[in-house]
Amino acid sequence: MLRNNLALAWHFFTQERTQAHYRYLRWTQALLMVFIVTLSQTSHTIQAYLADNLANLLGADIVLSQQSALNDSQTSALDALTQKRAITKSVITTLTHNGQWQRAQLKAVGHHYPMQGELLTANALNDTGRVTLSGPENGEIWLEARLLAGLGLNVGDTLILAGTPLIVTKVLLHEPDRLMEGHNVDMRAMVSLSQLEMLNFSSELLTHRYLFEASNSQIKQVLAWQKTHLPAAQVFHKTGAHPLALFWKRTENFLGLTSIILFFMAAIAIEKLTHIHIQKEQYFTAVCMSLGASKYAGLQVSLCKWALNMLFLMPPVLAFSAGCHWLLVDWLSSTFTAISWHWNMGLGISSLLSITLIFLLFQAPVWIGLKHSSVTQLVNNTQGKVSYGVTLICAIAVMAVVAMSYSDNGLLTTMVLAALLISIVMIIAISWGALTVAEKATKRLSGLFPFVMFMMKQRLVNKSTQILGVGLCAFLLLFTLMLMKDLGDTLSAYQREQNGNLLVTQATAEQMQDVKQWAENHGAEVRQQKPFTYAKLIRVNGQHLSDYATQPSESMSTMAREIRLHWTDDVPANNRVVSGAWWQQPDADWQQISVEQEVMLDLGLDVGDTLTFYIGQHAVDFTISASHVYRAGGGSITFWVQMPVAVLDHISAPHYSMASIELADTQFGLLNELWQRHPTLRMVSLQEMTARFDDTLAMVTQVISGFSILIILLSVIVILATIHAVEGTEKKKNSIIMSFGFSKTTCLQLNLIEWLVTGAVAATGAIAGTYIAGLLIYQSQFSLPYQPDFLWLAGTLLLIMASVTAVGTMASRKSLNSSIRELMTEQ
Amino acid sequence: MDAKYISHIELHEVAHSFVMNEEEVLLFNDLNLLLSRGSAYAITGPSGAGKSSLLMLMSGLEQPSQGRVSASFEGQHTGMQDVREHIGFIFQQFHLLPELSALANVALPLKLRGVKDAEAKAKSWLAKVGLGHRLTHKPKQLSGGEQQRVAIARALVFEPGFIFADEPTGNLDAKSAADVADILFSCCKENGAGLVLVTHSDALAARAEHVFRLANGACHVEK
Repeated sequence: MLRNNLALAWHFFTQERTQAHYRYLRWTQALLMVFIVTLSQTSHTIQAYLADNLANLLGADIVLSQQSALNDSQTSALDALTQKRAITKSVITTLTHNGQWQRAQLKAVGHHYPMQGELLTANALNDTGRVTLSGPENGEIWLEARLLAGLGLNVGDTLILAGTPLIVTKVLLHEPDRLMEGHNVDMRAMVSLSQLEMLNFSSELLTHRYLFEASNSQIKQVLAWQKTHLPAAQVFHKTGAHPLALFWKRTENFLGLTSIILFFMAAIAIEKLTHIHIQKEQYFTAVCMSLGASKYAGLQVSLCKWALNMLFLMPPVLAFSAGCHWLLVDWLSSTFTAISWHWNMGLGISSLLSITLIFLLFQAPVWIGLKHSSVTQLVNNTQGKVSYGVTLICAIAVMAVVAMSYSDNGLLTTMVLAALLISIVMIIAISWGALTVAEKATKRLSGLFPFVMFMMKQRLVNKSTQILGVGLCAFLLLFTLMLMKDLGDTLSAYQREQNGNLLVTQATAEQMQDVKQWAENHGAEVRQQKPFTYAKLIRVNGQHLSDYATQPSESMSTMAREIRLHWTDDVPANNRVVSGAWWQQPDADWQQISVEQEVMLDLGLDVGDTLTFYIGQHAVDFTISASHVYRAGGGSITFWVQMPVAVLDHISAPHYSMASIELADTQFGLLNELWQRHPTLRMVSLQEMTARFDDTLAMVTQVISGFSILIILLSVIVILATIHAVEGTEKKKNSIIMSFGFSKTTCLQLNLIEWLVTGAVAATGAIAGTYIAGLLIYQSQFSLPYQPDFLWLAGTLLLIMASVTAVGTMASRKSLNSSIRELMTEQ
Repeated sequence: MDAKYISHIELHEVAHSFVMNEEEVLLFNDLNLLLSRGSAYAITGPSGAGKSSLLMLMSGLEQPSQGRVSASFEGQHTGMQDVREHIGFIFQQFHLLPELSALANVALPLKLRGVKDAEAKAKSWLAKVGLGHRLTHKPKQLSGGEQQRVAIARALVFEPGFIFADEPTGNLDAKSAADVADILFSCCKENGAGLVLVTHSDALAARAEHVFRLANGACHVEK
């Protein structure tokens, strides 16, 4: 029986695969499969690269990093647990030479450096690198090539640092412990440990790193020791995860999450095609039943046909995904040096199987609908129906599966889903409202436009799904493109308005005093100044942070490092309390804290929870008494965690300041004198920030462009599917209109008006949805006020209308190719 | 152009054939017919004789292989394409738009033409065909006979000069067929429209003033 049904399924599969609705269905499935397979393969390649990177670029077996130096007992304890130790100290400085300045990471190394791996240097800028067995001597400094060029220096020149002359003796090419710097792109310089001491930098500005050689069992012992003795230290080891692994996992998750939208669009396309599909399947099953077969036989043939379709789809999808994966890896090679294309067949198959399961859910309404097949259907010549309820449940199930698979950031997931839901509701409401009002207003009128309104209103349900499909596509496209454009515009405009054009990111009290004096002397304006101290979150409600939160998220990755803790008794002008209550009498109860809302959501925190921070060598417990969010208009310097001023009486930790200054263009050259006096003063100009932002934006633009192509392709499929679903009735409608004595031109005019209205309603819904999504997501994810350009939005509205009308009319040309003869021959 | 001035449709030495399996099949040859407004014509004959093709030629929807089909407009001969908007059709399968009510279906041709009181006229036509009480019903809620009556009202509401009907009672039981035929003939008469219908039914054909019988590539005027 199964054999016969399989043969039958094969026969129908080969017959039907060229039919339009099967073709659209295949395109939709293939597009989503390629997206998911490429995403998983690329992510896997990056993770494999990072793991390999970790093994080769740690420069030791285990590395411990913290602000303060280890004391003698800690050093002895670690020495006892490991085989060999090397120390490095690093500090962010600004190097100046002949009026040029460059921010750089200055690293001081001792005699045991490098411990593992190769230290590569060159004797001149274009010289080939060679292995160097130890670091620079006293009086020497090694600079990386970019830094040499940026300062206009050559090997052999002298550089003055903190008043000390240092000779540039080598070009620094590669440090074996480079990995410790993560993905930062700071320029690099190297001196000896004893030279650093002579430069007299304040010890609180230094980062101390301890590199150890240790066996795997010793690594475990060090980790256990660190948890109790140095809970605030950052640890990387060969048996652990790469510091960037979580970042890339999060990137994958974000892209995965956005695929909810793609799946939703696919759901619309598939739902439209399902109507045609189910009629064919029900008809076939009814014919089988009239010939004595069971309903089950029809179901079996349908299932086999679907399985055959998936099976035949997989090889081209794998081949195409491999190509896309290759292109992506090639593109990523500018970020990840020496990353190579690697295909994981197991992962490819498992991704395909997962997505097949999703398509199975999408297809379920067709099979469930087969239970309504009966011979009566043939007698009465009635058509099969799909239950909207079943389709909706299946679509929601798919969205839920995708959301659960990729969600790691509660707030972002909520925002994406909320924006999507609001857009859907808005598009449906606008469709219904606009068509109802237009139909009522033109009810007494005659002519082509009132007729189109009348017809669209009569076909409201079908029209709404079509508008919803087109509208969502437009919404997505608009949002991604708008994000790309507005993010750049808003950021630079906002920074100019609010912040000044120079941001002091870290200054000690003495440095800040000098900065103020300098500003006063040069007539510059210090716009904002906020104090902070560094603190590291080590426990949440008594549980160690690494045990408490295991999902990667933006907040989690930041909280894993030291954060800036701001003190204030009043709610800052650029903050708003959203839950809990800000401290009123902090002197009596100083162990209070306010945490930013997104961090609360990401880490699953509630008001009343206890956070333990490591501040200045001491663990301090705080109770969350409030949660705040950023509010535009009061300056942009804001902090994730804030505490009462009274805390300062109970802790001992270095104080720093953040500040923003407005400088005239000509005053930037005068910053040299500040940096010469204070090489560790961290300042960044708007120009530098914009340059860094432009690099990021360029990468985001490329990702978004790729994503937009996917959306456009799916949009076209949605339009084609919705047109194809009603092609028969449209053709009939056109023939009937022609039977009233009208020409094909009238039908074309009606079609154009209908698509223009569809495009207008969809675009209005999309723009309204985008506006709300902008308000929600911009604020929460980028801390930016949303300032849309209405002229740009109006232009987009026209563009969407024109594109939808063009694509719609083009795709409808088959239904315009109708004739009265067809009505006569129809039996 | 006013429909009132279309008085005749003339077929002059018309021949029509089609190619099937690379062989030319001749449907009819050397046909000379004159259709006058206000009269009723029936085309009969066995299946495959070319009845529907002849209807298409007469209505100007298709061009004959040979000969000429023209209309008399204000005493001048003109091509059929010039009088297309004054010709109505009725089909065997009714072909009402399923999402529209009976009233909306009938009002459709008027609304498209920009007629102001479209709905009032549609109501009056539905009353004429005996469906004044079924205005808001959708086609699915109507019987076959009722659907065809709506189709007749829809075809006549814009007052065409000629109505072409393809097997208008072919899908109806005897009682409904007789009712529909009564309405069709009386409405066309009342409206002064020419009626050309294709039918297998001798009873229906007998009600026409002229009967053209197609058989073996020839057309016999039986009445």
